[in-house]
Amino acid sequence: MEKIEDEKLELLSHLIRRAGFGATRRELEDYGKYSYEDVVETLVTPKETNWMGDYLVRRFDGEASGMINAPGSARRWIYRMMSSDTPLKEKMTLFWHGIFATGVPKVINGRVLSDQIEMFRDHGLGRFDDLLLRLAKDPAMIVWLDNQENHKNSINENWGRELLELFSMGVGNYSEDDIKECAKAFTGWTIGNTEYMMVRSKRDSDWPYGRIAYHFEYLPNDHDDQTKEFLGHQGNFNGEDIIKVICNRETTAKFIARHLYHFFVADEVPVPSWNEVAPRDEEAIDELVKAYFDTDHNIAGMLSYLFNSDFFKSKNARYKKVKGPAEFAVGLLKLSREFEIPDRDMIPRYRQIGWMGQELNNPPSVEGWHEGQEWVNTGSLIERINFASELLGNQENAGIKELIDTVEEAITENSTPEQIVDECLTQLGFLKLSSNSKTAVADFANGVEENRAKISGVIRLIGSTREFQMA
Amino acid sequence: MTPLQKPHLDYRLTLGIVAMEGRGFEYPSDSFVAENDKIYVTNKSRDYGERGVRVTILDMDSEYFGTFGHYGVSEGQLISPAGITGDGNGNLYVTDDYANMISQFDLEGNFIQRWGTGGSNLGELNGPSGIAVGIDSYIYVSDTKNHRIQIFTLSGDIVSAIGSQGEEEGNFHLPWGVDVGSDGKVSVADWGNNRIQRFDSNGEHVETISAVGTSKSQLNHPSSIVVDSRGNRYIADWGNETVKVLNSSSELIQEMKGQATLSKWASAFLETNKEEGLSRENANLDNLSALEDTEDPHTVSAHIEKLFWSPVSVKLQKENLLLVTESNRHRIQVYEIK
Repeated sequence: MEKIEDEKLELLSHLIRRAGFGATRRELEDYGKYSYEDVVETLVTPKETNWMGDYLVRRFDGEASGMINAPGSARRWIYRMMSSDTPLKEKMTLFWHGIFATGVPKVINGRVLSDQIEMFRDHGLGRFDDLLLRLAKDPAMIVWLDNQENHKNSINENWGRELLELFSMGVGNYSEDDIKECAKAFTGWTIGNTEYMMVRSKRDSDWPYGRIAYHFEYLPNDHDDQTKEFLGHQGNFNGEDIIKVICNRETTAKFIARHLYHFFVADEVPVPSWNEVAPRDEEAIDELVKAYFDTDHNIAGMLSYLFNSDFFKSKNARYKKVKGPAEFAVGLLKLSREFEIPDRDMIPRYRQIGWMGQELNNPPSVEGWHEGQEWVNTGSLIERINFASELLGNQENAGIKELIDTVEEAITENSTPEQIVDECLTQLGFLKLSSNSKTAVADFANGVEENRAKISGVIRLIGSTREFQMA
Repeated sequence: MTPLQKPHLDYRLTLGIVAMEGRGFEYPSDSFVAENDKIYVTNKSRDYGERGVRVTILDMDSEYFGTFGHYGVSEGQLISPAGITGDGNGNLYVTDDYANMISQFDLEGNFIQRWGTGGSNLGELNGPSGIAVGIDSYIYVSDTKNHRIQIFTLSGDIVSAIGSQGEEEGNFHLPWGVDVGSDGKVSVADWGNNRIQRFDSNGEHVETISAVGTSKSQLNHPSSIVVDSRGNRYIADWGNETVKVLNSSSELIQEMKGQATLSKWASAFLETNKEEGLSRENANLDNLSALEDTEDPHTVSAHIEKLFWSPVSVKLQKENLLLVTESNRHRIQVYEIK
């Protein structure tokens, strides 16, 4: 077999850390059989696979099937992220959950939250117009932003405001009148059986037979069919028309471009500051805006451009993003293969991700989580290191056992501690450590006699380094 | 030639209500009708919580007789009760798929003994789920994650095992429900292989059921099977959210999607909580037109409350009634066999 250049594997490692949840050397060598551009194409146009995982998680974790509450929905999703063979689809689901942040305090129904996550998975790489329209009809979002209370004769602006402020254009690109007109266009967009579902929600009732999923319902009699003026356009607009206007605006393209850059390339300042702080790479944002219009608002098209760009592939871009808690934990769960068949021990794992600062299906507010450096504080760092240590240090985990076996085969009795550390880093997916981190890990290796204990300890210690926290 | 007997099932009633403790069920995993006509229902609970794990006792009139087998690791306690059966002599046997044990109780719920050790050697268990007592007075256990059926004496001594992991005839992939008929034949819901496999009393493979009906529709991860004395088979087709009735030649004669109504416990709740009861009366809970975009039965059942949602167990009461336990709807639908 032709040897694949380490440089290519390091670039693929960077790509899969960002577009997925990381990959071992073996997995990277599989990707490496194809050109970098072909790997990107495969990631952004994932094929449907015959994935058994959904059946497994539903059978072996009842609440991940019935989803009375949010943790069941989150565990099903976590299992999917760690076992999926379409990693970018899952990563984009996480991306949209961070932007269209919807949570359990108001949507007291795990199944409804899960349906939204499924919608992001199915449509998160398609046209932004389509995604936004589905979001407007998504029952979890309707309840989260009170659109079931947005009536023809008494509007509720919550959805209209956030659609413009947080979901498409950002502050400063519309007026208060635009918000009102937008809200009017979405009157009559509600959920079926509103009264019963809201009574149950208010009482947190799962009686008599568990939760019932919500469905979208349009009530023409409750829709304001008067002429509206919105962002310089005039007409008898319904919600679809509003979304079309929004998606044709450059401010929307810029907003999405900056989010993609923030999530996949380099940490930006938190979203509320975007109106005042310029993007860290305006040229990159301009190129992504062009890709948005060139591909007819297609998110996969923008991502294809992004992953093939010099600003993404640059060595200066690597290990510059702090992994989010879910991203960090899922990467470790995938690597360790702790749950080849799901079981009740996924419950504490899910909770640990929350302790790291990201309880899925329960964002801190409609703004989502502040990402980047804000993921890490004294408490969350300890949680992260403990989590990594538990998973990487358990030799009973199939993925860890396989890693140790592979490293053990590759080294000799004459291998130096530095060479052992290098081999572990290579097998973990061509990871790079600073010289300080590497020296500290090698010092540890120097003090352990038995080979497997040494390799296991090195892998475990790598999980506690600064670089391992970064993507 | 005598024509095959064709049972026909009519919906009769629904039992249960979701409840985190006490009267009701939470993620029920199995049920068993004992010789005292009481129904014993194992509950895994929401997050295997301390309150919810239990065995609930009731009867066909929804009279409630208490609970036992609560959460814990001590004798008489359970972590994750997955299956239940009885021997007809006053004993119940409950599998625990987390503790890898089988606990024996009397019909009042008093603990008698337990056995089981985690592992993959003969006699060891890994995720035991379905359980049945045969006419040979042996206990048949679906040793799920070891992909086999293990056979024990009533006191827990290993007798033998059937099968190993694989897709071939006689192999299993994560088997779930198990039944031993009055003729001694063993039927297994071979969940991961999307089929039912049947064996004679010597453990020899005699039949595979994978596709049924004129359209030869594939079973989808079946969870449970029970066979009556006439050889009719009742299958919980878990992945398709249906129950299928086959005659003794394995011809499909009825397929049910579920038609639950309010149980006595559910009605009592809605009468007490009037705001919820009134708003429910005004709701249309059968609105299938809202689900035109999906054919996924799991999604449809999440929306339409009366339909089966995660039917995990089918059990008979004296061959007159079929009990379908639905994990996600925390109830049992009862059908009359005619």
